[in-house]
Amino acid sequence: MSWTLIFQHLYLVIMATIGTIVIGLPLGVLAYLNKSFNRLILWSVDILQTLPALALLGVIMVFIGGNSLTVIIGLILYSLLPIVRNTYVGLTNIDPAIKEAATAMGMGKFYKLIHVELPLAFPVVFTGIRIAVVTSIGVAVFGTFVGGGGLGSVIYRGIHIQNMNLIMSGTLSLMAMAIIFDFSMAWIEKKLYQK
Amino acid sequence: MIEYKNIHKEYQGVSVINNINFKINNGEFVVLIGPSGCGKTTTLKMLNRLIKIDSGEIYIDNKNIMEVDIENLRRNIGYVIQQIGLFPNMTIEENICVVPKLLKWDKDKCNNRVHELLSMVSMPYEQYAKKYPKELSGGQQQRIGVLRAIAAKPPIILMDEPFGALDPITRDILQDEVKDLQKKLNLTVIFVTHDMDEAIKLADTIIFMDKGDILQIASPEEMLRAPANEIISEFMGKRGNFLDAENMACSDLMRTPVFTIKDDKKTLECIEIMKKRQIDSLIVVDKAGIFQGVVTIESIRSKGKAGEKINSLISKDFPTVLQDDVGKTAFDLLMDKKYDYVIVLTRDNSVVGIITKSSLAKALASVVWGEM
Ligand SMILES: Nc1ncnc2c1ncn2[C@@H]1O[C@H](COP(=O)(O)OP(=O)(O)O)[C@@H](O)[C@H]1O
Ligand SMILES: [Mg+2]
Repeated sequence: MSWTLIFQHLYLVIMATIGTIVIGLPLGVLAYLNKSFNRLILWSVDILQTLPALALLGVIMVFIGGNSLTVIIGLILYSLLPIVRNTYVGLTNIDPAIKEAATAMGMGKFYKLIHVELPLAFPVVFTGIRIAVVTSIGVAVFGTFVGGGGLGSVIYRGIHIQNMNLIMSGTLSLMAMAIIFDFSMAWIEKKLYQK
Repeated sequence: MIEYKNIHKEYQGVSVINNINFKINNGEFVVLIGPSGCGKTTTLKMLNRLIKIDSGEIYIDNKNIMEVDIENLRRNIGYVIQQIGLFPNMTIEENICVVPKLLKWDKDKCNNRVHELLSMVSMPYEQYAKKYPKELSGGQQQRIGVLRAIAAKPPIILMDEPFGALDPITRDILQDEVKDLQKKLNLTVIFVTHDMDEAIKLADTIIFMDKGDILQIASPEEMLRAPANEIISEFMGKRGNFLDAENMACSDLMRTPVFTIKDDKKTLECIEIMKKRQIDSLIVVDKAGIFQGVVTIESIRSKGKAGEKINSLISKDFPTVLQDDVGKTAFDLLMDKKYDYVIVLTRDNSVVGIITKSSLAKALASVVWGEM
């Protein structure tokens, strides 16, 4: 097992997280702003997460072949739920008096979103990001089946050749990675909520 | 000038504002008051279009507010609410500058304005500007709420129970500050409250609402003296002292009902009545109840003959006041000592009461110690 595999795994997770934020945040905002989209959006991301990860990757592979992009897209789709949901919830739960004050001051919808609502919803959104990251670290293991590399390949090979050390080192690396991200992000989150 | 014309609003077919009309002059401090749920907030929020008007129009300086760009309209109307609603993600300085920034004031101008405003409420810039709202007390936060509303110098300020959640002492201080600011800056203020003391303290004009109707529009003095109906007087009755000495009218000081006699009574009959009631004068009215004068026991004894009618003995030389005269008039007459009482008349000269030293003392005591 090498550092390369760990970095490869991290690369998948980080790219997927960036992608999830780029797609999920606007979807969450849209669900908040537009009552007619909100059911559809929340329902879709819900459904996506109930699909088995491996099946999802397989379907994507059919379209774009097997490589790391396949894994990244799979991870994005799979971890949209926490970010979309938390963005939506974070925006919805802002004190209505604050929203009303913003409107009454003469802020437009978009201005209000950027200057008031998103900053206030950010701690909740960040929780969503943390959940997405930790989920992705685990799900990215399946990447190896579609040629995406990462720590999954170590474990898979370990199982294949019945090498306990290999299995253990892959699993422990994964666990360490998940725990480090979870704890450090939880710490930032706490600071955000205190603000 | 602000003008509400036939404003109507309903929710799910239930009417909550019933075609109301009123006008507010520039620089006027108007208080909307009435029981909870009577439509004060709805009335207020229609002005900055937070609530849609179902029918009718509102004009500001003869311009229909529906024809003004909605964001521009709001930037020119300050807004203060009970929940304060400061932006927790912004510093005090940034909160105050929200509207100036929306109006694209430059940095220096904003900064100067913040200095100016904070010094107005004795909150030093160095100490407070960079703090966040939650680092301040409730009273301080609402002070900033008020400053945020007036920062861009809007001519109109709306306030919806702004001090309702504050402790009485802080509330009192902030009321004074707001009244000062309003006078100094000649602001037009529409202020919602359900606290009559607050209304009386602040208002030039009180608009009393109930169930979506306006029941009375009057100055505080007038509303105290002549509440338009039961609901209003009951509402004001909840206050501790509802009279204050300066605004007392003679009608507030008098004793009722009053005993009068007709002018066709005979002398002996009058003496009997006086003996029985242990008084030495009688108020005389004609058949229609119009005041004729007074007969005293001395005049009957000296000039009267038994069996004669009292007509010729009636003296007009007796102090009278109108019920709307200021209380001081009656007080001065009584203090002359020559008379034991003063007669209170309506404009058409019928007798409504008398003011004696004891009724006067009782009314004054109610001002000092509350309703007795
Ligand atoms: N969004 C709404 N939907 C239905 N009814 C409402 C709504 N807002 C206010 N009302 C009703 O309208 C009436 C007036 O409300 P409001 O103006 O808030 O009263 P006030 O400020 O005088 O207490 C109340 O009976 C209230 O229940
Ligand atoms: Mg209200």
